[in-house]
Amino acid sequence: MTAFGASLRYEFRMQVRKRSVWIVPALTLVLFVLIGGSLLRDLFDPGERPLDPRTAVAGLAVQLHALLSIGFGCLLADRLVRDDRLGVAPVLDATPASPAARLSGKYLGAAAATAVPIAVAYFGFAAAYAIDTGRPVAMAWATAAFGVVIVPGLLLVAAFALAVPMIMPAPLFRVLFVGYWLWGNLVPPETMPTLSRTLFHPLGGYPLDALFDFHGIDGEDTWAGPIAGATWNVLRPAPTPALAWLSIALLLTVSAAALAGGHALRVRRIR
Amino acid sequence: MRIEISGLTKTYRGGVHAVDGLDLDIPTGMFGLLGANGAGKTTLMRILAGIVRPSSGRVVVGGHDITSGPGRTAVQRELGYLPQDLGVYPDLTARRFLDYVALLKGMDDRPARRRRVGELLEVVALTEHADRRLRGFSGGMRQRVGIAQALLADPRLLIVDEPTAGLDPEERIRFRTLLSQFAGRRTVLLSTHIVDDIGQTCREVAVLAKGRLIFRGSVDELTRRAQGRVWSVVTDGPAPAGGTVVSALPHDGGMRYRMVAAAAPDPQARQLEPTLEDGYLTVTAAGREPASRSGTPG
Repeated sequence: MTAFGASLRYEFRMQVRKRSVWIVPALTLVLFVLIGGSLLRDLFDPGERPLDPRTAVAGLAVQLHALLSIGFGCLLADRLVRDDRLGVAPVLDATPASPAARLSGKYLGAAAATAVPIAVAYFGFAAAYAIDTGRPVAMAWATAAFGVVIVPGLLLVAAFALAVPMIMPAPLFRVLFVGYWLWGNLVPPETMPTLSRTLFHPLGGYPLDALFDFHGIDGEDTWAGPIAGATWNVLRPAPTPALAWLSIALLLTVSAAALAGGHALRVRRIR
Repeated sequence: MRIEISGLTKTYRGGVHAVDGLDLDIPTGMFGLLGANGAGKTTLMRILAGIVRPSSGRVVVGGHDITSGPGRTAVQRELGYLPQDLGVYPDLTARRFLDYVALLKGMDDRPARRRRVGELLEVVALTEHADRRLRGFSGGMRQRVGIAQALLADPRLLIVDEPTAGLDPEERIRFRTLLSQFAGRRTVLLSTHIVDDIGQTCREVAVLAKGRLIFRGSVDELTRRAQGRVWSVVTDGPAPAGGTVVSALPHDGGMRYRMVAAAAPDPQARQLEPTLEDGYLTVTAAGREPASRSGTPG
């Protein structure tokens, strides 16, 4: 097994066994349903739910992604600095394993483990919808939405969650991250500058719009593209499938850059 | 595996000179490294382990220049390293932790890796705790896990930094014996504050102070440095000035001091035979003297 494989395997194992990785998303979902829950409850109400399974699972992806990514980022915030804090780093650094391979394994392993409860929740709701409506095609759409909407966004969040605590304490990162997530995703772009609806939007507005033809549960919203009076409209070209893939590529590129930056900072610090 | 160090300097940001123009040859076998806190021992070990990059100078380990990437990787393939203040992952069991480190050391063959992990757990007497999470391990047990991970790939170079810290006296003796047995045709670099550990295991020793070499020679030579300088003084008052107190014992209502001093610190002082500890104190008190000898010992 390569250093990448070893690191991925053990980081996954350690993270997925953390109780908080399961408790945080579970509590978030319970609270969300208790305070209204909109689509999560509407999915099982024949009078309220979308009839088109693609729209239903895309809407589900938006809600769960927006909601559970907050805990996802917070749970990953100590992963890179943890090795130094625990005093394990010198042992790992003295092995012949490539630091880049170890970092990639750590990143993907920890992120995948933290995403497991999100995947369980998402595919669980999607499966329940598919069974309840007798539309198994919902699972195929759910898999696609998970791959092109949720995964790129989570990878971006994970990269920043690992890298930024190299320059600030993890608790401060968590506070700032929650603030950013609410600002970046909920504040309308015409109100104040935000990444919402841009090619860099981690909620995946371009793939939702151009690949899933998703315009909200009621079909009246848009998730990407320019808005009159908004700043940074240069980052909001009219959505097309090509731009959707470009948006995904940009999210992955920014993720890699953030991770490389965090790695460079750590190397500079210890050497 | 011979280590040749020449002109080695490490300056951290902020201008702190941790290692300052060090020249040192380390032969195969057990080799001791002594020095006060901040002497540069840990930085030297971290450089040799490929963790820290030197600011200047040359370090060749077993023919590999560790200032180059390929040279560093080649050395790390032959290296076992037990750092000072070793940490572990609290959520892994001892067996899993060792398995993880073994994988990073390139031990890909699963049956061989499992066998080696099992053997080492036996060596450090942790077999019955192998499947317990490290969270519940005492400091001494964690240190034993650290020793096991250092020995995983049967290294030709073993670097151990304060390895007996946290071990009880019995474990300490056991570990010293283990190190001596392990050394054989390998190189074991042992850094410690416990002078007795060096005396019991090493023939050759170096003493560092403020990043520089102030002594390099045999353990006997270091001991002889204190010849004629070790005194026993019995007094009712404080220790006399003009020397370094090695120990103080209550004695007939007063105190008996063992002191290292160039001349008798008291008219009633009685001269004693020196120990390695006395030799170490003599050398460090002399401070910034040049190295006693250089070149390669046998």
